[in-house]
Amino acid sequence: MFFNSIDFFIFLLIVFLLYWLVVYKNLKFQNVLIVIASYIFYGWWDWRFLSLIALSTIVDYIVGFRVYETRNLLFKKRWLWVSIVFNLGLLGFFKYYNFFIESWVDLFSSVGYEFQSTRTLQVILPVGISFYTFQTLSYSIDIYRGKLKPTRDFIAFAAFVSFFPQLVAGPIERATNLVPQFLHKRTFTYKTFSYGIKLMIWGFFLKLVVADRAAIYVNAVYNNVDNHDGLTFIAATILFAFQIYGDFAGYSLIAIGVSKLFGFELMTNFKRPYFSASVSEFWTRWHISLSTWFRDYLYIPLGGNRVGKFRWLFNLFITFLISGLWHGSNWTFVVWGALNGLYLTLEILVFKKKRKGLINVLFTFVLINFSWIFFRANSIENAFYIIKKVFTSPGHLYIGSGDDITASLYATLAIAILLVVEMKKEYFNTIFSISNNKSELIRLIGYAVLIYMILYFGVFGKSQFIYFQF
Amino acid sequence: MDKTNLKTTLKLIVCILLATFILDKVIYFTFNFLSDKVLSGQAIGKLNHYIITKDTIDVVAFGNSRTNRHINTQKISSSGFNMGVDGTSIAYSATLIKMLPKNKEQIIIVNVDTKNAFKDSYSGDDVNRLNVRYHRDKIIKREIDNVNLDDYIQKFYWSKGYNGKVLGILKNVFIPKYDYRTYYGYDPIYVNDTQKQIFQNYLKYSDPEVDCLDSYTMNSLYRYYLKEMKVFCEENKKKLILITAPLYRDSCKEDNSKFTKILKEIDIEYYDYSDLFIENNLMKYWKDEIHLSNEGAEVFSDTLQELLVTPL
Repeated sequence: MFFNSIDFFIFLLIVFLLYWLVVYKNLKFQNVLIVIASYIFYGWWDWRFLSLIALSTIVDYIVGFRVYETRNLLFKKRWLWVSIVFNLGLLGFFKYYNFFIESWVDLFSSVGYEFQSTRTLQVILPVGISFYTFQTLSYSIDIYRGKLKPTRDFIAFAAFVSFFPQLVAGPIERATNLVPQFLHKRTFTYKTFSYGIKLMIWGFFLKLVVADRAAIYVNAVYNNVDNHDGLTFIAATILFAFQIYGDFAGYSLIAIGVSKLFGFELMTNFKRPYFSASVSEFWTRWHISLSTWFRDYLYIPLGGNRVGKFRWLFNLFITFLISGLWHGSNWTFVVWGALNGLYLTLEILVFKKKRKGLINVLFTFVLINFSWIFFRANSIENAFYIIKKVFTSPGHLYIGSGDDITASLYATLAIAILLVVEMKKEYFNTIFSISNNKSELIRLIGYAVLIYMILYFGVFGKSQFIYFQF
Repeated sequence: MDKTNLKTTLKLIVCILLATFILDKVIYFTFNFLSDKVLSGQAIGKLNHYIITKDTIDVVAFGNSRTNRHINTQKISSSGFNMGVDGTSIAYSATLIKMLPKNKEQIIIVNVDTKNAFKDSYSGDDVNRLNVRYHRDKIIKREIDNVNLDDYIQKFYWSKGYNGKVLGILKNVFIPKYDYRTYYGYDPIYVNDTQKQIFQNYLKYSDPEVDCLDSYTMNSLYRYYLKEMKVFCEENKKKLILITAPLYRDSCKEDNSKFTKILKEIDIEYYDYSDLFIENNLMKYWKDEIHLSNEGAEVFSDTLQELLVTPL
């Protein structure tokens, strides 16, 4: 079920009414309702993969107890490995099996050895597998580290694993934040509800207007690289920067907004990333739930920055390389991750002081855009072709025709609105004043304006969120 | 949920819905007023132009960009009109045909791409391009409802029909793209040097692929629209002719032959010009593999003129 579909709105309304009007007196029933709703939400795509979520829930529920109750450190560790191997095994099989087999075959054929037969599988990637496996892993690891006690309430735990607003594309919640929320009574407040609605409306604006309008031009260029030149690739890449931001930040805001409707607080996932003055700052503002996950469960266990400089830089680089691979089983993502790792290591080596100012913001934006070329390109060859064209053949700027021009105009207008709103918050620490005005009438007008902008400028249809593929 | 919270929440929801509903109607009628003045541009202007001239024209061509760019209806009749619109297909054409005057002799040319007729995925959603008039035209409303593409949002917010068209309307109200009185819907492509170079490079580096489908069962919706057009035309003294415009290279002919056979069975006149230039395929006739240049379009229009004018 897509957030941007009528099915979802009907589903949300039914679940919301049942949650607050029928089962509101009983915490257990509320959690049961969340589990059922989440399984329906996920099963809407492919009910067969519900078994994976169920299995992941059962395994980590049991492992959580075993890790907590076992006194012997060695056995404790073994139980933790059960969770790690199971969750990463699922991910590895469904997401990376074919990628590694094909890459292996390519590697051998590049040195002249041809395999007679290779066993690749027709595996469908289960939606959101990268997200919920990381979330359940955090539960077992946090228990192992003594940060969390396992919950005895299986339903609450199942609700934590499958919580529908963030099940398929995050934010990747920590068990320490989300599990306790399922164990305590939620209360409905008008303030939280209206704030949730506001976040959802802004999220839909980011997705339907910014991202989906920009996508029309981006796809026209990136899917036909042979027909375009450098200037066009620069324009398409800048638009892609806002497309992916609008798409993913939009999804996260909708997820956070929907969670608020049910009385849950999820973590912030984006904090105006394109106002970062360095790449390291960018990664504290972009996909925060994943960056901090990698920081806490990979970078720090590797030694973080409390080691020698060379090892520190290696830790950083390897964390980003793996983060790239997490995004997708394609070499374009691996290079994208490596490039970001390289940026960070170079920043540490070259810049000694914290960077500030507009020039650094622009410079960081250029670096990030350069890495987006690899993220968006359909293949590594395409990415290098685009880079070559950018530096050697500026050519003419492709404007498109008919609907393409309109789409680019709407995208530009929407990006301008987004930048004004974010700039206000970034530099003046005030948020969009109309929708936060004390007067209810003005707030109402603020909501209405946003809704109408979505109606007139948004792209309707069932366009998928980019991060669903990860 | 306590009663105070429930009351305030319901108040918020009702207020938002009510305010946006009322405002929507105000905006909708304002946009109607403005858009009726628009007679230039592809999204709204061409449709408005068609609506005001449909009763007086005697030749009209329907289809996608390969109609719009390829058929100079003025060569066939001085009262000809080209109603080809980018990205549209048979549902869009059939709906517009049903809006033509009853019992008036007219020649209807529908340009079709034969492969599209055999695509399972075709859902008739191109008729949604007419949704700007959903609440104003019974035929359009019926046809959109008929393909089951219910847009619940538009049923509540009528002005959603203007999605993606607002800037175009405003622009064309104040600065019309062209003088509609001298426009007949035909937009030939004047190919520039860069476009020529791009096409030459494309031909140089791309391999011609045999692009055949796995099976050739006509999409049921497509067949339905063919029959609907036929019935309407027969009942209203119109001559219906289906054609396929030239292609630079059409590597798979199975769809053409199957389509020809089906149209013969359902008794619709059909002419396949996909190989029109096969004997004399000059680069100057082409913008790309599927679009003719203005020179190619003129040659093709002459061919249609010979077909249609001579026997009538």
